[in-house]
Amino acid sequence: MSPHHDSSDAELFARLPDPAAREELLMRNKPLADYLSRRFAGRGEHAEDLAQVASMALLKSIDRFDPERGVQFSTFATVTIVGELKRHLRDRGWAVRVPRRLQELGLRVGKVVPELAQELGRAPTVPEIAKRTAMSEDDVLDAMEASQAYATDSLDAPVSEDDDRVPGDALGTEDTRLELMDGWASVAPALERLPAREKRILYLRFFEDRTQTEISEEIGISQMHVSRLLAQTLAFLREHVGGEIELP
Amino acid sequence: MHVLRSVAASAAARMNLSVDAIDDLRLSVDEACAELLKAVPSGSVLELSILRTGIDVEVVVSVDGDPGAWPPNGHERTLAWQVLSGLSDEVTFERSSSGPALRIRMHAVLEELGH
Repeated sequence: MSPHHDSSDAELFARLPDPAAREELLMRNKPLADYLSRRFAGRGEHAEDLAQVASMALLKSIDRFDPERGVQFSTFATVTIVGELKRHLRDRGWAVRVPRRLQELGLRVGKVVPELAQELGRAPTVPEIAKRTAMSEDDVLDAMEASQAYATDSLDAPVSEDDDRVPGDALGTEDTRLELMDGWASVAPALERLPAREKRILYLRFFEDRTQTEISEEIGISQMHVSRLLAQTLAFLREHVGGEIELP
Repeated sequence: MHVLRSVAASAAARMNLSVDAIDDLRLSVDEACAELLKAVPSGSVLELSILRTGIDVEVVVSVDGDPGAWPPNGHERTLAWQVLSGLSDEVTFERSSSGPALRIRMHAVLEELGH
């Protein structure tokens, strides 16, 4: 590996839309990305998946880095890469326990569900998905089930440590209306701790009575992801209720 | 609980429910089990039955034991009730021979577009 000179890094950044400079920066900083991804290994996620996420994050940090701001690139890149790795592990918390085969089936199902929804004008049934993916109905069910497997503690850690908004998730104040509803008021403090996206999903499902498929279209994530986040969020809220609800 | 959830989902799939409805059912079973076990912490046997009645699917989850007040006081203000009634078309608190039960009714009609 070539030695690291911030001066030449600066030159490279100055040349930046230039693909060769971008490539060179990528090469130079690849060891940092690999190092960080290894630190997150051993949590059940495949090492190559993590390395991939870290590389993508590195690219992102190269494209977004602003040398004018007086921050070292390595500092900026580390924050970005660690953030992406954490997000990846959180979003894919299920991958921790789900065998590779089920993950792959899950991806196939996840791809076909929106296609069928589009064609049918409604959420598809399991036999319809099975037919389209050439999988058995049991495999489709297993894949759906697996996608709902999650680590219940994943919501306890992250909240507000970084901004969790997804694109298109213009957070409306409407979400706070959830707290005003009977029952939900009892978990207001826990609702406060939810990432914006999770809260929005709750709002859409329970206040606006939208289906998971509709929510997935609105938020721009898969129906299975909506399903998983809903299950995870409800489990999280259950743990934080205690059950006895007295409205003021 | 995981078993009940899977069984319910599997039965619902055989009844040709949409993936949305199946997931709602799965979440309902989770919520119902949690609610029943909260009412009867000593309960040891959870039972689930699922049946198709015309256009509806009905799921009854029950647990053995004495819950005291059932439905619990102020149940309409609990999160569990909100969640269950949000996910299904009707929720009823019942008593089976062995203990408290929750009956969850869901419409199982697919709005087919003509083809």
